Amino acid sequence: MRTYSLLIITVGRGGRKRVKRGNVSLKLGGLVVVLILAVSIGAGASAGKRTKGQGPAAANAPSGTVTLSGWSVGATEEKLLKQVISAFERSHPKIKVSYDAIPNYDQAMLAKFSARRPPDVFYVNSEKAPTWIKQGLILPLDSYIKKSKFAVAPFYPKLMTAFRANGKTYGFPKDWNPLVLQINTAMLAKVKAKPPKTWAQLRSVAQKLRSAVPGGKPLCLAAEWQRMLAFVYQNGGSVLQGNKPTFTSTKVRQAVEFYVGLQKSGLGDQASKLGAGWCGEALGKEKAAISFEGGWVYPYLPENFPSMKWKFFPMVKGKQAGTLAFTASYSMGTHSKNKEAGWELIRYLTGRTGMKLWSSKGLVLPARKDVKVKPPGPSRAPLLAAAASARAWAWPPGFDKVWTVANNELGAVFEGKQTIPAMLKKINDEAEDALN
Amino acid sequence: MATEARSERSIGSERVREALVGYAFVFLPLASFLVFFFYPLGYAFYISYFDWGPLGKIESLGLENYRDLADDELFHRALKNTLRYTAIVVPLQMALGLSLAVVVNQALRFRTLFRAAFYFPALASSAAITAIALYILASDGLLNALLGTEKAWFGESGTALESIMALNIWTTSGTMMLFYLAALQAIPTDVYEAAAIDGAKSWRTFWRITFPLLKPGHFFVAVVSVIGSLQVFDQAFIVSGGGGGPNYSTMTVVLYLYNTAIEGVRFGYAAAVGVILFALIFTLTVVQRLVFGRMESA
Repeated sequence: MRTYSLLIITVGRGGRKRVKRGNVSLKLGGLVVVLILAVSIGAGASAGKRTKGQGPAAANAPSGTVTLSGWSVGATEEKLLKQVISAFERSHPKIKVSYDAIPNYDQAMLAKFSARRPPDVFYVNSEKAPTWIKQGLILPLDSYIKKSKFAVAPFYPKLMTAFRANGKTYGFPKDWNPLVLQINTAMLAKVKAKPPKTWAQLRSVAQKLRSAVPGGKPLCLAAEWQRMLAFVYQNGGSVLQGNKPTFTSTKVRQAVEFYVGLQKSGLGDQASKLGAGWCGEALGKEKAAISFEGGWVYPYLPENFPSMKWKFFPMVKGKQAGTLAFTASYSMGTHSKNKEAGWELIRYLTGRTGMKLWSSKGLVLPARKDVKVKPPGPSRAPLLAAAASARAWAWPPGFDKVWTVANNELGAVFEGKQTIPAMLKKINDEAEDALN
Repeated sequence: MATEARSERSIGSERVREALVGYAFVFLPLASFLVFFFYPLGYAFYISYFDWGPLGKIESLGLENYRDLADDELFHRALKNTLRYTAIVVPLQMALGLSLAVVVNQALRFRTLFRAAFYFPALASSAAITAIALYILASDGLLNALLGTEKAWFGESGTALESIMALNIWTTSGTMMLFYLAALQAIPTDVYEAAAIDGAKSWRTFWRITFPLLKPGHFFVAVVSVIGSLQVFDQAFIVSGGGGGPNYSTMTVVLYLYNTAIEGVRFGYAAAVGVILFALIFTLTVVQRLVFGRMESA
């Protein structure tokens, strides 16, 4: 109360009558009482909600409000998600979903985790999953899976690995996207070439395409391991075996030499050199004829470059088929409040019905083998065919820094300021540090 | 409150009363300052001695975070970039700010318009300005069209950081101008009159009178500019998409700190980076104080 008396003195010195002071203190006192009341009512209300969801009454159908959060997405995707959510609410009348798209997602989520108030259900990027799991932020779902007899088998196993640790399951993939080829079919027809299927054909088709891309390059090559690693897999290589980094292995080096060689021989370059922010944009601006991106170029390309003719084609093969898959899960937090109802939502969104609705518009691919969709736009068969050979982008905790170093080194190699063996050595050292 | 009853007050108690009232006035801002600034600052020091995650303490590490930083190549790179950035940006920022201030301090036509125009970039959000700069400096952007080149200014390690430097010198020049303008107007006019009577030309007047009399202004602007430069983050974050590329050229200390905390979820290690940055800024500010203090007494 000392604070308040001090405040009253100041008011008094301001030249007011003493009677006034009494009023002020009364008002302040009143305000405090109101605040205390408000806080306790608020706490009571939220405590009430909690018991509703978790208490012994949960034998009945779960109920209450489920908070759902993900990163900000385009308007088309957000609209679709809201449709899926209202379909869930219709089939689960006792549960209400409160959806929030969060900008600066990772940053905001870490703050929510720290405050022990994460949303009930949220997206987890496969890249972030191992770190978040290790920090104890994500709830293992095994007891819920068992209790509700939720079938895990229909999910693509390679996508599931990203969300598994210590024999437990921490989320179900909401969808996925592999890297495949996008080719400007008009340019391809102009030089009378067929879509490339092997590394050798990729080179020869790119050679032919030189004349078809004025002011650009045949290939858009990102200076990122998030693209180049697909070629490593095609060469039968890998960068991690068990707990040992293998960046310096021959198979990795050969694949890097091939990828960088495409740039060195002038067959391709980075998007920034082609006047674009990313390879999808370079393709759209017709500054490149071939890019290595995923399903996310749709609906971006038709929306922004409606006259450009393009299609998806399968990823090229090296010694074997191989590509990268990017995925994210629906998960719950260790400190999520309404877990029972949250699980119902996850079960629906990643279940057959929800997944079918979610992937029907062609923005994403279904993460379940038992969901078949016929989305609008170009054929997704090349994407779906990648499921057998695609490996999810998921790494041990601490690997984020390895990729920062790896991409900077690759940028230096593209600029001719670093050699391939020196780059691989440096990344390998960094990976060893991260794994220790 | 008991003091009110007395009819005669000693000077001493009057002082106490005045002090109390003074503290009462500053209590709220001071409290929020302590809670939202000093407490987190102290806490950052504390957690820098731990392996710290979103759910709190994981393991006590002693000085290990600091020892790791000593051999962290990426951190060294970030530190080097930031220091180089500061060494180039601060003098240019001060020179440009001072020139603009001198210009708009003259009795020009449309003086207010110029003042507002020069200050305008400081009002716009740095993210928006950087986004526009990305277009202007793109390989098929406006700048290349004017120069007849096809350089990806932010996409090449030789020009990426330099482009951010140029961008920031321009955006902050308005703020620096404002500080210098205030300092310029604090110089009494009689010294100029005396100089005019002695026949000093304007160039000489500037270097012999205006420039030395601006000492407090120089100190303030230098300190603000150095602190701002050492904390450069948003432009570096936006142009590299957070990766600090190409070839580490736009990796700055605060960007590294952000990546460590948010991407790597290593709060303790990130706090150690913050503590080192704090020590650096603190030392440089003290050094500046000493340098400018000596100039003043000279």
